[in-house]
Amino acid sequence: MRKSLIMFMSVLLVLGLVVSVGGNEVMAQEEYRVAYIARAQGDSFAAWLANSIIEESNKYENIDLQVFDGQGSDAKQNSLIENAIVNEFDLIIIQPNNGEAQRPYAEKVVEAGIDLITTNARIDGIEGGSSVDADPYMQAAVVAEMALEQVPENANVVVLNGPPGNFHASERRKAWEAEFFAKRPDVTIVGEQIANWNKDEAMRYMEDWVQANDHIDAIISMNDNMAAGALEVVKGDPEYNDILSYGVDGTAEAVLLIKEGRMTATTLQSAYALAERILWVSDLLVTDKVMEIHTNIGNPVVTSENVEQYIEMHEKAGNL
Amino acid sequence: MKDLKLGDKFSRIKQKYGIFLVLILLFVVSSLINSNFLSVRNLTNISRQISITTILAFGETILIISGLLDLSNGSVLALAGLLSVSVFKMTGSLILAFIVAIVVAVFCNIINGIMVTKFETPPFIATLAMMAMARGAALLYTNGQNIYRIGDYTVFGQGSIGFVPTPIIFFILIGIVTWYILKHTRLGRSLYAIGGNEEAAVASGINVNRKKMLAYIVNGVFVGIAGVIFMSRVNAGLPNGAVGFEFEALTSSIIGGTSFSGGVGTAGGTVIGAFIVGFLNNIMNLVGVNSYVQQIIRGGIIALAVIYDTRTKKMRTKSQLGNVE
Repeated sequence: MRKSLIMFMSVLLVLGLVVSVGGNEVMAQEEYRVAYIARAQGDSFAAWLANSIIEESNKYENIDLQVFDGQGSDAKQNSLIENAIVNEFDLIIIQPNNGEAQRPYAEKVVEAGIDLITTNARIDGIEGGSSVDADPYMQAAVVAEMALEQVPENANVVVLNGPPGNFHASERRKAWEAEFFAKRPDVTIVGEQIANWNKDEAMRYMEDWVQANDHIDAIISMNDNMAAGALEVVKGDPEYNDILSYGVDGTAEAVLLIKEGRMTATTLQSAYALAERILWVSDLLVTDKVMEIHTNIGNPVVTSENVEQYIEMHEKAGNL
Repeated sequence: MKDLKLGDKFSRIKQKYGIFLVLILLFVVSSLINSNFLSVRNLTNISRQISITTILAFGETILIISGLLDLSNGSVLALAGLLSVSVFKMTGSLILAFIVAIVVAVFCNIINGIMVTKFETPPFIATLAMMAMARGAALLYTNGQNIYRIGDYTVFGQGSIGFVPTPIIFFILIGIVTWYILKHTRLGRSLYAIGGNEEAAVASGINVNRKKMLAYIVNGVFVGIAGVIFMSRVNAGLPNGAVGFEFEALTSSIIGGTSFSGGVGTAGGTVIGAFIVGFLNNIMNLVGVNSYVQQIIRGGIIALAVIYDTRTKKMRTKSQLGNVE
């Protein structure tokens, strides 16, 4: 009886050892805490990116992601970064509201010895910090190059801009200036306003421009939302059947408009591609495989010729 | 003596029709600056553009007259409109979608009313809280994404009856309802009394809290309708739509002579205020005024309207005191 008890205890001990060794192996896979500080969850692209990052992070068992909303405010975003530093996250990802306003706080992240990624748009020149982005200049430049060929001679165009101080808004506008307007002095800008990325604001401006001008040949918009708003105004008006319109983002609405033949082209700023790259870089950083890395995703142009694949992409993601 | 009477008369005319004269002046100047301004198409365009914020302004006027305020109407509009679009996509019923928008907006306004009347929260704070909650709920519901392919839902904002666009029809109908409530109902008279002097209103037997709650409910109905028109007009469910509409509505109401201190304001004045804002925005776009300059001009006009309101009020008090002496 005593012998059996000793045998039983020994088996338990061995089992315990096996389990604890196995457990140690499981524990050896360390879990890293990652803070993603989004620009504003109210911004449809930022929300798409945040959702994609959450989805992508589920593929990484070693990453525990928490998302914070900067609510489109520099002050709010800066305090969220400070909180994340105090809470000793292993990695902080910042999607800045305004790169220059967040720069000192991003530098604090590196100073605190925490890994840093800036994205959409990157904050340039932070030593020790990494970045993942799509080049906003190129995003607009690729559609501007198309417009060079497509916009008729002596055309009247309207321009819809993003919020002032926003890096992507200003870089895209710069690209249009250098790659299109500088090369096409025959084109006249008959209206240019800031519609803050918003569809309803763009609609209001377009309604007035349609009254003020005999004809508008093209809508040049720094994002798809505003282009869609402007197109809504001339929808069904036979005078504007041939209007050209260019955007950036490749939103679900834009790809549908391209399919319907109402929008000319957009550049896809794929939140999925960005999210995939961000998580890949995150994993490299937290596991110390690299110390600093800067990478860009591509800028595929969406036109009527290739739109089907992007509609499929949005349908898969549940955006349509 | 005769001069004084003439001066008095002029001052009364200025007080009563001043804002209307401003509208006429703006109309004439705009017509001279740009020939497109006066076209029927452009005037219809302006009316359609101001329809949503004016509907909100009617609700705001009712509230401000009774000493209340609503800063949440832009966010509640987005939430109500979004849920309405969603219900339409699920059921295909326009009537049900319309009802849902009104129910949601009224519900939010009942909460505003409870916070103000039961918990004695200042309307500014109560509706500021609702502004954040409603926007958060709208974003949460769609995960920050827009809703597309809304089909026949566009009839509310893009359709027309005869040659009159539907948003303008809603705008006129709600204007008439507001005028009727303020001018011809006991509720309207009570609201003026509450805004003019709440203690006196209590003393005269008015159930102040009940009337305030009713004012919020009426506002809720207007906000719900505005939500339907907005989403229909933009052909999408936008959780981040109508940002800043509360300030545009307030501007129209205040420029139209509604006094921030309560007890003063009319539906007609609000319409005039809305057209002043609409004409101004339109002419600035027609002649291509820079966005930043537009903001400065809009801000300046609000400041002038409030200064005018304060001065008129002082003059009125002075003349009343003079009469007493």
